Amino acid sequence: MKGAAVGLVLRRELRRIARDAVYRWLLVGLPILSFSLIVLLFEKGVARNVPIAVADEDRTPLSRQLVRMFDASPTAEVRFQPASSLECERLMREGRIMAFVRIPSGFERQVLGGRPAAVESRITGTNISVNGLLARDLQSAVTTFSAGVQLRLLTAAGLSAEAAEAQLMPVRFHKHVLFNPWLNYGYYLVPGFLPMMLLLLTALSTVYAVGIELREGSAAEWLRLSGGSVVAALAGKLLPVTGMMLLWGGVMLFVEIAVVGVPLNGSLGLLALATLLLVLAYQAVAVTVVALTANLRLALSLCGGYSVLAFSFSGLTFPLMAMWAPARWLSCVFPFTYYMQVVIDQLLRGAPAALSVPPLLGLSLFLLLPAGVLPRWRRLCTEERYWGKI
Amino acid sequence: MESSTSSATDTRCGFSRAFREELRTVFTDEGALLLLFFALLIYAAAYGVAYGAQVVRNVPIGVIDESRTAASRRLVSLFDAGPDTFVAYAPTDMEEARELLFRRKIYGIVYIPSDYERRLLDGEPADVAIYADASYFLLYRQVFQELAATIGLTGAQVGLQRLVARGTDLPQAEAVVQPVAYRSANLFNPYLGYASFVMPAILVVIIQQTLLIGVGLIGGTRRERQPAALAAFAAPGGLLRRMAGRTAAYLTVYGVTMAYAFGLQYRLFHYPDNGSAAVLLLFLLLYLLAAAALAQALAVHFRRREDSLLLLLWSSIPVLMISGVSFPREGMPGWLYALGQLLPSSHAIDGVIRIRSMGASLGEVLPQVMWLLLLTLLYGGWALYGARKRG
Repeated sequence: MKGAAVGLVLRRELRRIARDAVYRWLLVGLPILSFSLIVLLFEKGVARNVPIAVADEDRTPLSRQLVRMFDASPTAEVRFQPASSLECERLMREGRIMAFVRIPSGFERQVLGGRPAAVESRITGTNISVNGLLARDLQSAVTTFSAGVQLRLLTAAGLSAEAAEAQLMPVRFHKHVLFNPWLNYGYYLVPGFLPMMLLLLTALSTVYAVGIELREGSAAEWLRLSGGSVVAALAGKLLPVTGMMLLWGGVMLFVEIAVVGVPLNGSLGLLALATLLLVLAYQAVAVTVVALTANLRLALSLCGGYSVLAFSFSGLTFPLMAMWAPARWLSCVFPFTYYMQVVIDQLLRGAPAALSVPPLLGLSLFLLLPAGVLPRWRRLCTEERYWGKI
Repeated sequence: MESSTSSATDTRCGFSRAFREELRTVFTDEGALLLLFFALLIYAAAYGVAYGAQVVRNVPIGVIDESRTAASRRLVSLFDAGPDTFVAYAPTDMEEARELLFRRKIYGIVYIPSDYERRLLDGEPADVAIYADASYFLLYRQVFQELAATIGLTGAQVGLQRLVARGTDLPQAEAVVQPVAYRSANLFNPYLGYASFVMPAILVVIIQQTLLIGVGLIGGTRRERQPAALAAFAAPGGLLRRMAGRTAAYLTVYGVTMAYAFGLQYRLFHYPDNGSAAVLLLFLLLYLLAAAALAQALAVHFRRREDSLLLLLWSSIPVLMISGVSFPREGMPGWLYALGQLLPSSHAIDGVIRIRSMGASLGEVLPQVMWLLLLTLLYGGWALYGARKRG
């Protein structure tokens, strides 16, 4: 009985989709477009050849060797060799370089004469991802260079190669980068941005699907078709959106793992479950917001803003741990926050499945929201005063 | 004579009527008011709060100290003393440390083997292993830098002591331990505040996106309600003046909201402010012109009130990324970055950061100024052409 009602509403909805180009963009065009953009943006995943300047005031074989070492580092490329640091500052304000280094005159003489020489760098703080890479690479270029000089000084002083080595590095540290050993930005931003696109399009298309009935005053006809059952009416309408977005959710996981190559260290099943709950959670929020506002345009604005803001509060870029307490509290109202915990745990970290249970429960709680507005939905579908609001 | 006077009156009328009408629309249409006025204020405040703390300090780490000697305890206390890490746990083995890591109690592990002090005293190289969690990049950076620097410093001290013990005099020993001193500083954002880095770009993107969606909503509503009004809109010669009038209305509205975003919010949250206010104002004006032109060009194509919301909202994140400012441009395909140059926001983010954070002069952002002018002409032309075709 109810199944038949859902079927009737579903058939009506499919006809609507076939007629409405914007609807089709939401369900097909925009997922493809936005996913492709994100994947292409992070295709390389790491930045290479970031332009820097070196003001080599010494211009000796030794200083030139250091310049070559800066150039050979993974991130930096020495694109300018101006005469002074003043010129370096101008190059930076013109956006041509992200860092500059000054090698003072007398550098070679001092180094070989056994007196410490100072090399100075300035790195722009306006882009902290580039800053991090350059800081690491410039430092390690100088360290490597310095170690070479040290070795030379020590062997010249009569130490054996072995003793010199021990003298050089009295404490050796063994570095292990956990969960993303190549420090690939793509590996952690793609699994963040793709679900952002998915949840945003899910929220918008769900608001659109149900909100348009109020906007166009066709809600009564819609409810009549479902035999007066609000649940059947909503189910029939939302099924195409749910189905398409789950399909894109599957494509998303496939793209993350197989195309972008993010290492899958945990459970694909839990990731799939989280993705299912993510789609349903944002649908639940959307249905609730439309009910409360009874206004398609306002519901789109609110759900859109709510969806977009989720990224910043998820802790993926700026960690939750460091946020102000009120921001941390606010992060709990976004399903995306819980979803990203599962992604980090199950995609990158390979954490025990039990640790993903609390965030999965957090996601599930959002599914209860529409229960609170079901009576209101009946009123919205029967009372004319809720229709046609813009 | 007669006709030229009347056309001059027309000019003023076309412009000022469009200006007044558009202002009235913005302030009487709740949808437009929310998008064109309140959205910038709300988003700016929300993002400001999310990133308000700016820096990550005192990241908890765990240390497995199997040496349990004076030397190892000294190293552990140094990890604790640094600003970026603190030793929150002393797990007994790697298994326990791993568990703490998975439960997000710690974000890094240091393992000091039992022979640490003995090797140091015997003049052999001692080993320390560090495990840094790279699943959160900012945390990784803080943990790794602090640990690496502390171990490096400890090593240098040991090296110095050994040389002096061998009979080298102190200044010479210092030169051998560190033949090249390296000093590095960060410009414009010395403590690498996250908000100081990302907020200028986010504010610029919000301005463009709210304009595109808000103006699109007005355009869609107009198209839906009164197709006849379009004929009047396309009155000969009046089109350009009406467009200018509307643009002036948007400038007025954004003048108010941007005074908050680029004035008060900058002060409240302490974003970098090293540039000339005059250059910034001029640059932002050019940006608004280009963004308003793009908004009006797109608005022509929306048929319904909600279309701009449905079709444009998703683009905010890609628009921010493609500018190459928050994610380095060297990390994305060149052609995609080039495509992004068609967006006013890409040039504006670059320009605003260089003017405001770095203190660039107008001459130093000249390419961005030229781009914005070019895009204004391009999109203004498209908007006129589109409106005329509809008319």
